[in-house]
Amino acid sequence: MSEAKASPLLVIGAGIAGVTAALEAAEMGSDVVLVEELPSIGGRVMRINNYFPKLCPPSCGMEINTRRLERNPRIRVMTSSKVTAAVKTDSGWAVTVTTAPAFVNSKCTACGDCAEACTTMVPDPHNLGLNEAKAIRLPHLNAWPKRYVFNRDAVSDKEAKKIADACGFGAIDLDATETTEDIEVGAVVVATGWRPYPLENLDDLGGDIDDVISNVQMERMASTGGPTDGKILCPSNGEPPKKVAFVQCAGSRDVNHLNYCSGICCLASLKQATYVKEQIPDAEVTMYYIDRRAPGRNEDFLLKVAEMDGVNLFKGKVGRIEKAKKQLKLHVEDVENVKLIEADADLVVLATGMVPNAIDDDLALFTRKDEEGFVLDDLESGVTVAGVARRPEDVASSVRDATGAAARAVIAAGGR
Amino acid sequence: MDKLGVFLCTGCGIGDGVDVDEVLEAANEKGCTATLTHECLCGPEGIDAIRGCISENSLDGILLAACSERAKAPEFAPLSEEVPAVFRTAIREHCTWSHPADAEGQDAEDTTMLAQDLVRMGLARLSGMKPVEPLQEEISDVVLVVGSGRAGLEAALTASRLGHPVTLVEQGSKLGGLLADQVSIPPEEPPYDAPVPNPVPGLIAEIEADDRIQVLTDTVIAKITGQPGQMEVTFEGPETIEQTIGSIVQATGAKPYPADNLGHLGYGTSADIVTSYDFEKMLASGTIARPSDGKKPERIAFIQCAGSRDPDHLNYCSSECCVNTLRQVAEVDKIDPSIENAVIYRDIRAPGLMEHFFVGIQKSAGMMMTRGDVVGIEANGRLNINLSNSLLGDNVDVEADLVVLAVGMVPSSADGELIRELHDSRHQAEHSESSQVREASAKRAEELKDHEGTEILNLEYRQGPDLPTLKYGFPDSHFICFPYETRRTGIYAAGTVHAPMDCAQSAEDGLGAAMKAVQCIEMAKRGEAVHPRSGDTAYPDFFLQRCTQCKRCTEECPFGTINEDEKGTPQFNPLRCRRCGICMGACPERIISFQDYSVHMVAEMIKSMSIPEDYEEKPRILAIMCENDAVPALEAAAADGATWNPWVRVIPVRCLGSTNIVWIAEALSAGVDGVILIGCKYGDDYQCHYVRGSELANTRLGNVGETLQRLALEPERIKVVELSHDEFDRVPKVLDEFAEELDEMGPNPLKGF
Amino acid sequence: MATIPIEHSSDSRREFLRLGGENAMHCYQCATCSSVCELAPADNPFPRRQILLAQWGLFDELMGDPGPWLCHQCNDCSVRCPRDVRPGDIMASLRAMTVEKLAFPNFLGSLVGNVQKSWPLLVFGPILFWVVLLGLTTGFGEVETHHGLVPGPAMGQYFYDALVPHSLIYIVNFAAVGFVCLALFMSGTKFWKLMGDKQKRSGSFIGALIGVVIAIAFHTRFSSCERGVPKRRWGHFMVMWGFVGAAVASGFAVVFLYADIPPFSWFFALPFFSDIGYPVPITHWNKWLANISAVLLVVGGIMLFANRLKRGDKLVGQTTAFDRFFLWLVLAVIATGVLTEVFRFVVPVPMAGLVVYVVHLGVVLSLFLTLPYSKFAHIFYRTLAMVHERMTGGK
Repeated sequence: MSEAKASPLLVIGAGIAGVTAALEAAEMGSDVVLVEELPSIGGRVMRINNYFPKLCPPSCGMEINTRRLERNPRIRVMTSSKVTAAVKTDSGWAVTVTTAPAFVNSKCTACGDCAEACTTMVPDPHNLGLNEAKAIRLPHLNAWPKRYVFNRDAVSDKEAKKIADACGFGAIDLDATETTEDIEVGAVVVATGWRPYPLENLDDLGGDIDDVISNVQMERMASTGGPTDGKILCPSNGEPPKKVAFVQCAGSRDVNHLNYCSGICCLASLKQATYVKEQIPDAEVTMYYIDRRAPGRNEDFLLKVAEMDGVNLFKGKVGRIEKAKKQLKLHVEDVENVKLIEADADLVVLATGMVPNAIDDDLALFTRKDEEGFVLDDLESGVTVAGVARRPEDVASSVRDATGAAARAVIAAGGR
Repeated sequence: MDKLGVFLCTGCGIGDGVDVDEVLEAANEKGCTATLTHECLCGPEGIDAIRGCISENSLDGILLAACSERAKAPEFAPLSEEVPAVFRTAIREHCTWSHPADAEGQDAEDTTMLAQDLVRMGLARLSGMKPVEPLQEEISDVVLVVGSGRAGLEAALTASRLGHPVTLVEQGSKLGGLLADQVSIPPEEPPYDAPVPNPVPGLIAEIEADDRIQVLTDTVIAKITGQPGQMEVTFEGPETIEQTIGSIVQATGAKPYPADNLGHLGYGTSADIVTSYDFEKMLASGTIARPSDGKKPERIAFIQCAGSRDPDHLNYCSSECCVNTLRQVAEVDKIDPSIENAVIYRDIRAPGLMEHFFVGIQKSAGMMMTRGDVVGIEANGRLNINLSNSLLGDNVDVEADLVVLAVGMVPSSADGELIRELHDSRHQAEHSESSQVREASAKRAEELKDHEGTEILNLEYRQGPDLPTLKYGFPDSHFICFPYETRRTGIYAAGTVHAPMDCAQSAEDGLGAAMKAVQCIEMAKRGEAVHPRSGDTAYPDFFLQRCTQCKRCTEECPFGTINEDEKGTPQFNPLRCRRCGICMGACPERIISFQDYSVHMVAEMIKSMSIPEDYEEKPRILAIMCENDAVPALEAAAADGATWNPWVRVIPVRCLGSTNIVWIAEALSAGVDGVILIGCKYGDDYQCHYVRGSELANTRLGNVGETLQRLALEPERIKVVELSHDEFDRVPKVLDEFAEELDEMGPNPLKGF
Repeated sequence: MATIPIEHSSDSRREFLRLGGENAMHCYQCATCSSVCELAPADNPFPRRQILLAQWGLFDELMGDPGPWLCHQCNDCSVRCPRDVRPGDIMASLRAMTVEKLAFPNFLGSLVGNVQKSWPLLVFGPILFWVVLLGLTTGFGEVETHHGLVPGPAMGQYFYDALVPHSLIYIVNFAAVGFVCLALFMSGTKFWKLMGDKQKRSGSFIGALIGVVIAIAFHTRFSSCERGVPKRRWGHFMVMWGFVGAAVASGFAVVFLYADIPPFSWFFALPFFSDIGYPVPITHWNKWLANISAVLLVVGGIMLFANRLKRGDKLVGQTTAFDRFFLWLVLAVIATGVLTEVFRFVVPVPMAGLVVYVVHLGVVLSLFLTLPYSKFAHIFYRTLAMVHERMTGGK
């Protein structure tokens, strides 16, 4: 694929889709620039405890991917970086990549001496702010690159100095500044991914109540590296819940919120039901749904969970959730028996949907975008899209799409 | 390698954690040519120092005794160009971080002894390594696409656009598969609210116009021999063609679930109960009429999950029926808006952006919908569909003039492994001496007889003629992280044979599979392994003079890499190989070796450990751990500040399946008190990246139990543990618990002999 | 076992769509609507199920369903419906459909049901009727009354009954009211039976009725719906009491006419009634009652209207011809009534007064005749539905 080398590919976003697209293209023989906004790669999947339906940890597949990445000289990874400008050229795109100040540079060995010297705590972004972490820290145990990040603004100059002095390798540069670089690329894979639909938009469903959490928060809570060391607890009192309610389509399939199905929430909730049952065997779990969407072989998983005792799948969307004396009160119609129910629960998990990150990004190379913010292929302009940036879908589909997107990009860049 | 250098990093607390001189001394005792310490080996100065030392002593192998290979890879990578053999041992994670002298149950002497052993083992490994000569083979560029549905067509076009010649083979007389005659497809672009024209005819036209694509219709595959990059294919069709190809996309699609099995939905009781496929023909004809009397139906009822999501028929959801039904409703409305459409479903599955299609059709065509289970359908002039659990109240009769059953899909695949087993059992049933074996085999052959003649690819592989399947006939793969990786290198499934999926997904899948197929060819040209050890240029070498034809390697390889000649001698195909080393672990004669990884090398590592004779003082525990999951978990634990028993010696392996029983024997006879193997979870939801590695290791060890008892050793001295990548909190506990169990057992009686 | 036949349900579906039910076709049965409704009874909730039955055209089920009548259309559901089905509007359409289907005699039901087309007949018919009737009787000339010989329109200050003898008004309107009662009784019993067939009732009708009347008097149900949205309660409250007041006032007005007739004279010895002399002075309390009622009607009406402007369109819901017709009639009655008074006392313009008065009589008659088939019928059906609810263990 010698011609491919002439015009490298740009992959925006190093979530599972971006990493896959970059690897597949590079292993084919193309040169790839992989740009990630966060300090480490992996995106949303690294915040997931287990994948459905296999209930295996995402870090396991990501382990293989990072090995592939390190072994491959054709990929250049730019973390803490963002594509801030893009201009169409005859041969593809001329993009400007802006990299955040590298207060911690590549000399970092992740030895942790700096963290010893740091006393300031900040909300931990990896755990969605559910707990606090040092202002200078490793993003998470499996972070790649294995390099500390520093919320410089969070600490006083005095402490910053102390932290910098603690580093034996001169890896901390307090005077670091933002840098920009112009890169010519042959084609672009947009893999900018998604973010969860905000709880605060769901006041009918108690988005502002302590013990009403989102499905992404549940993933953090259930995972060993999470804010509660993997324990599922009610935020209000730190007690393990006896009754857990999963509220499906919390924002999805709803003209007032997200006018589409987010595609993954049913299976995510079924999966999280298994987390609860594993930790709290006598817990009562109820999943309130409109339609149980477990396409393909995931049907097995649906049946498996539906048959667990103490798990109840309930046809009827929850209309309102309010705080009662001790518990939470859910208003819902039992559609099968045509009765109104006031169900109670200790912990409510809202199956919030996915909002494409591109929705509020008007970068020139998002040449085609639908009203919901999903980006569309524009092969004439050498732009192709992978993963949830394109449509709501699960990890398996994202990986498949990303492989196809890599092919499209190689072709668009004149791969041969 | 004989001129070895040891480079000990003293940064990150290593220098304070161990007695550097003693560690270097251990290195020198092992006869290494040069040693060097540096407070920051990964820094530019450190790297330069290493370079200097290499050239100065013209070293051919270097041991980086510093941090884990998961850290600083880019910094150390360039050294591989300067010296043929590089090995990294993680003193930081496995030794100083996890065994600080001040922590409970640790002391400085033990930590230093651990560091010494790590260095000794590293040197032992290095001295066994040989320079890697990447394969240089003649590789065919041709991509073979089997099947011409949407996935196959997209795959063929993609491979061609990627610059590769393509052969597209179709057993039928025309291209297009199940979609060929469909009037429209669900939308694939905004606003997603109405059906769009069927793209298949356009794709076929493009294929026919593409001179890089050779199309063979009415043709099947009689035989495929060889390995990726060099597969010899024999096509049987109007003429018999032989062709060399590089890789394969299997897009053989799916068949409609046979409606004759749907008696419970009234199929066969009335001409007016038809399948969605029959109905599609009606739509194509432009006139909708009841087959029974040719009258226009006033109401059509569409019944979902006809065969799908049904334990008596298809256990899975066929994924496309709900959306396809919405499309057919829209087409009915186009032809005659006065016809009423009623949709009876269990759950409407219009995932993602197909929600727009769902609403769009409800608004434009306005069908009636209810959830419900069909109890039965009676024909009395009109059709009465008796529903239970419907939202209209329990037990209602919905009247309709025409009933359309949305039948599911059955993958057009063949289970290579079972076909192989069928043939084996038939052979056994005839030729086996033991009568039980003959009976058992005959029975098994009877069970498997349906697989007779289902062959599609007809691979001349020892392990069978087709892709092994996982469940319900879909090809086995890591369907979440690495969906295209089947268990046959260079063969990628796409479309509805791959997994239940809709039209748009099939198109995507075709693209992806073509990408993988082309990639496989490109990597073969570079002599590189494909997933998961992508880019690895080492490969196993078989020393056949000592082979005893035990066939273990040919049977255990998860990827069907090894064929047999009639005597049962293995015939290795390096281009089929994924480099897991499972064959190496299986071989009792230890004749299978990679240039950089072999039974011998690991055995030497074990021998190189220092085993204190006085148990009371220092027991020794060998931990053989999977380098993809268990070891990263252990290193994460170290980074998280965990500590564990200082008498454990960890040897990372490519896959637990590469564990050779000899290692256990070596360890025990050397006086090691216990051996623990930690690998990936196995079973239906296996996590092993080589599919069966950890499972095989477990079975092998199951068999050594009695051998141990013969040696007067407790079988409990050997333990196998399944562990996930994220269980960093658990892995130190596992090691400590094993240490306690051994403590109760007392010392290894063989110690000191 | 219920059967869902083709013909019947198809016709009903068409009818329902005509009455503004299209949105029911994109409901996906999530039941958000029922679960947010404050009025839906727990054991027989609405509107989710009603929407589904409507989608399938199962109106036989729906005719005997109290649900649509228990709904006060606060549109909490319409605001929250994820598919923008606007269940509040669907319920309104179902009410219209019930009124039409249960109408007695049936053809009048469909006549009012199709008011978009039939309204000229419904309005001008009665007016014409009066013109003709008066033409035939008084001929708009001098007539003999119990006040003696009264000259025609030429004269200034005169009694209206000179040209429009009250006797006529009684005959016509009492007949109309009688008919209305009959019609309502026939439809009512049908409705009551249909409800009874679906749900067993128990306890006393009167007891339940009293409870319901009190609830209506204070509009308690209104207050329970409409979480955090502008209130319709007071507007509707005023309009209702305005009607009641107007009815009472006109009742007394009739009585007063006969103040000087022996059989009644004892009556006028009573306080308040002693000062009666015809014409009743504008300052008389009954006139006050009448005018206050008029004011309530006007102010309440304006409030309801203003509310519509204030609230988002989902909260307002759609206004069908069915609603509009009734509202216009009421407005017409009020307007012509007030104008008549104006031309009589404020700016005496005899001819104009006369014309307006005749029109007034016409629209009043139209209002009477269409009561059982117009939106007004909700007073009746809703009351019955609420009584039924109480007698089946509801709130």
